[in-house]
Amino acid sequence: MKKKFTVLFIAFTMIFTMLAFAACGGSGGGAAPADEGDKYGEGFVFKHGFDLDYEPYSFIDDNGQNGGFDVELAQAVCEYYGWEYEPVPFNWDAKDAELNAGSCDCIWSGFTVNGREDDYLWSMPYSDNTQKIMVKKDSGITSLADLAGKNVGVQTATSAYTSLTEGDQKELKDTFSDLKVYETYTIAITDLNAGAIDAVAVDVTRAQDAMAEDDGLTVLDEDLGSEIYAIGFRKDEQELCDKINAALEALAADGTVAKIADNYPTIKEYITLGK
Amino acid sequence: MTLSTMLSTMGAGMIRTCLIFVLTLVGSLPLGMIVALLRKSRFAPVRGIISVYISIMRDTPLMLQLLCWYFGPFYLFGWNIGSWRFPAIIVGFVLNYAAYFAEIYRGGIESIPAGQYEAAEVLGYSKAQTFIRIILPQVIKIIMPSVTNEVITLVKDTSLAFTLAYQEVFSLAKQISASQTSFMPFLIAGIFYFVANYIVEIVMKRIEKSLDYYK
Repeated sequence: MKKKFTVLFIAFTMIFTMLAFAACGGSGGGAAPADEGDKYGEGFVFKHGFDLDYEPYSFIDDNGQNGGFDVELAQAVCEYYGWEYEPVPFNWDAKDAELNAGSCDCIWSGFTVNGREDDYLWSMPYSDNTQKIMVKKDSGITSLADLAGKNVGVQTATSAYTSLTEGDQKELKDTFSDLKVYETYTIAITDLNAGAIDAVAVDVTRAQDAMAEDDGLTVLDEDLGSEIYAIGFRKDEQELCDKINAALEALAADGTVAKIADNYPTIKEYITLGK
Repeated sequence: MTLSTMLSTMGAGMIRTCLIFVLTLVGSLPLGMIVALLRKSRFAPVRGIISVYISIMRDTPLMLQLLCWYFGPFYLFGWNIGSWRFPAIIVGFVLNYAAYFAEIYRGGIESIPAGQYEAAEVLGYSKAQTFIRIILPQVIKIIMPSVTNEVITLVKDTSLAFTLAYQEVFSLAKQISASQTSFMPFLIAGIFYFVANYIVEIVMKRIEKSLDYYK
């Protein structure tokens, strides 16, 4: 009887192990390209990696769907080639792991080139954006020098954050009383309104979105630096990068890009494609 | 975004949350029993492996474990993890919760006095019969409150799937909150979690009641 019992357990353990291996194996072979020659032909599944928390480039729109300038443009590119569009929303701080591990084909989500020039294979730039300091109108802060001794908020892993902590604006940050790092700009801006911080370092487009909803906010004239947005690919994906570039040029030429940009008035003037 | 769109979008997220919840329970409740019994194995290496497993699962954050399960296959073997997101979440949750359930089961099993095993042996019960017919029914009764606790924790822990950007109800709450600059989605998520757990409480109470044998 005891033997039977032991055998039962060993059998169970083996089943579980096998299930685990089967699951692993299945995932490993899941995305194998069938034919090298026609890898990016019709039916290719384009996995668009993006942050679902980055209005207006990629976010959940009023209909509860994935929306945003980058999402619409990526869908237009897929339509252009007859590709299948697969959204891969990820956490922004895990973007490199997601890209390298192949869960997405590119990072395309208001992705700043400046400071990352050598880290990715970049598409042509499609947007020129600038980082600003947003304050309350009645705060009395009118220049970067006024920020000395103030509490400033920023979203983690954004270019404003990088610029302040290790980039060109590190000296400016040292004049702050404290740099508070938030998970999202929504919470940072709520904190700004609540008086917990004095300013928020943020991309101009995100700042304009916030100002459109709350006219008590304004941005300083001085900026923290400008930034270029492009699509980041793995370095060995030259062919895919070329394809996307060609599609972007074609879509800019036939007016599709301008049409999509019309849906996003706050960033329209920063879109450089087709200009 | 209208309230009804918000509710239906987050409702879809709640279904994904429930999917994690159900699959985790289906996997970890039986696996926990196997782990608990293996922990009492007479073969020392098995006992050792099991206790290391339980220690790792309980002593490291579940969030970290989820990241390891998802990104591990790539970093260790260089595999493409394109469709691995959801399976990784389930594997992470099942293995973690099995460790906790195993310890709950062990507590229950060890609370049965040795005299009962001796009596069963005298009466000619085999080891398996003793366990299934005599020990297990009592163990289940003893461990029910602890299991309920763990199940309720699981409902709330499903929100950790946001680490892997799985769009369960809490990830969606965060994302909708960001795009709508509103705290409403968090409030809705809170109500969803409360209702789900309240249902769990009622169901578990029912089960406890149905286990009122030996009274």
